[in-house]
Amino acid sequence: MTPIVNLKNLTKIYYKGDSEILTLDHVSLQIEPGEFIALMGPSGSGKTTLLNLLGGLDTPTDGEVDVCGQDLSVLSSRELARWRADHVGFVFQSFNLLPVLTARQNVELPLTLQPLSSQERRHHAEVALRIVGLEDRMDHRPSELSGGQEQRVAIARALACDPQLLLADEPTGDLDAKSAQDVMELLKRLNESLGKTIIIVTHDSHAAEFARRELHLEKGVMHMERKR
Amino acid sequence: MSLIWLNLCRSPIRTALTVFGTAIALALFCLLEALLGAFNAGAEMASASRLVVQHKESLTFLLPQAYASRIGQVEGIKGVAQVTWFGGLYETPLPEGGKREEFFANFAVDMEQYLKLIPEVIISPVQYESLLKDRTGCLIGDKLAERLGKGVGDRISLRPLLWPKKDGHPWDFTVRAIYTSNSEVFDRTLMVFHHKYLEEGRVFGKGETGSYLVGLKSASQFAEVSDAIDRLFSNSPNATRTMSEKAFNMQFISMMGNLKLLFRFIGTVVIFTMLLISANTMMMSGRERTREMAILKAIGFSDRHVFTLLVGESIAISLLGFLVGAFGMYTLINLAHWNPKPDFLSIFQVPDAAMISALGIAILTGLVSGFLPGLAAMRLQAAEALRSI
Ligand SMILES: Nc1ncnc2c1ncn2[C@@H]1O[C@H](COP(=O)(O)OP(=O)(O)OP(=O)(O)O)[C@@H](O)[C@H]1O
Ligand SMILES: [Mg+2]
Repeated sequence: MTPIVNLKNLTKIYYKGDSEILTLDHVSLQIEPGEFIALMGPSGSGKTTLLNLLGGLDTPTDGEVDVCGQDLSVLSSRELARWRADHVGFVFQSFNLLPVLTARQNVELPLTLQPLSSQERRHHAEVALRIVGLEDRMDHRPSELSGGQEQRVAIARALACDPQLLLADEPTGDLDAKSAQDVMELLKRLNESLGKTIIIVTHDSHAAEFARRELHLEKGVMHMERKR
Repeated sequence: MSLIWLNLCRSPIRTALTVFGTAIALALFCLLEALLGAFNAGAEMASASRLVVQHKESLTFLLPQAYASRIGQVEGIKGVAQVTWFGGLYETPLPEGGKREEFFANFAVDMEQYLKLIPEVIISPVQYESLLKDRTGCLIGDKLAERLGKGVGDRISLRPLLWPKKDGHPWDFTVRAIYTSNSEVFDRTLMVFHHKYLEEGRVFGKGETGSYLVGLKSASQFAEVSDAIDRLFSNSPNATRTMSEKAFNMQFISMMGNLKLLFRFIGTVVIFTMLLISANTMMMSGRERTREMAILKAIGFSDRHVFTLLVGESIAISLLGFLVGAFGMYTLINLAHWNPKPDFLSIFQVPDAAMISALGIAILTGLVSGFLPGLAAMRLQAAEALRSI
């Protein structure tokens, strides 16, 4: 099987004034379709940076990023945006949703970039919300939802365009234990029943246990792997 | 995009205030243009084929009536009419006591010649006949008739400010004709009456006239004819100055010239300030949403999308402001005929050009105030913005 993520000697250096911050140091990595990966490591080790590079939100200083069969380094910023819309879904730690929109409208947002009629958009959004178990909260605004529910709406939005790859940066970071458990179970279910490739960044070893493979990053170097 | 609309509804009070601010500024702009237009009305209604002969020293000096026939013999002239500014004040007692005062332009003229020279004035033949027959008859514009509530056959009484009557009473007139005009810019609030009536009743100034209105056979002969007229009287004690009707009317306007400048200055400053405030508010609301813009980018919206979103939002706000402010003022003035000072402004309209300018200002404000946040959102590195929660 061709890997869905293929990194070769990926290096990211931030320049601040005269100083260089080596954030990712020759990271090489392959991820097969259908994997569920937990990316761990201390604060500042480069986890978010790596995730952003995978999702085409940032560009590497050196090395190759090949995701979903596409070499990201050749795309313009506009093509990258389009590619993101079609291939990846993002979930962040908090403030994922647009406060003016209802849950359904938030989920419909990425669908507006696709050539769909408004009924189709609506239908897709409803399906996604049903998958995350929020069919009864469709017309609620983010301020009327709990943190865990907000995260589930964010996941539904990430799912809406049916991407192969879900990227989540500390999706349970702001949640209580129960909600975190729910979100992780949801991700696991998406991985197992829908076959989504999922990469999450987390500090929480309990959350990491849901993943089938753990990657540890330290000071920008891929340090160790553990398989379950 | 309905997202624009939803964003506007996010904080309805702020949106309403911003729209209101823009609206006030644009309404003021339209009002200002209408006022300035009213000041210029006299110049606009002037015809290029008419001249006015006045005393060389000043408008306040009179000319002998004998000049009429000599002017009439100058080559290229179609007709001559005496026109004397009467400047009477309209007064009627009110039923509840006190009295109502109205001011409007009123002149004594050689009626027959005068009307020949001013084809813009339109009267029915029947009224024209009865106007010429009645020595104390007068002609008023339909808008003035409406304002005073007078019709044909009604009486009008003017208290003289310049021309006292022999018997010390006010001057009485009978409305014999009401004119309309085929010209948009012609003042329909004038009153004119027979010069011979003034002549008979006045205490001083007998045999004299304020000015002569001269009709040209061809507008192109303006320079030759006015020179010829002035040459006729250059050696007499009452030398003349001949000018175009427009220049003549402008004399009145130039008295208000400085006022106009002040007006324009204050107005522009106020408008500019208000637009600046609105623009600032729009920019702030753009900046507050950095994170939202980053999220949009993460889910696949391009730089162009987010730019359009923010610019669209501020244009929507300023267009709403335009609708409320400029159209509000337009409706008020042009359709409901609201007039803040009817005594002085006979033609009071928001010009169409002003509406177009107001629209232009609105779009420009929207563009400018949406541009910076839009540009910032476009340049925004989603990766950075998402990191700094
Ligand atoms: N724009 C930037 N300019 C300079 N340095 C940066 C920039 N972005 C990130 N860094 C640095 O890169 C390093 C890695 O940051 P990153 O956010 O990837 O860490 P992380 O593993 O996600 O940490 P955390 O667990 O706290 O989220 C940090 O030392 C950070 O200071
Ligand atoms: Mg991080």
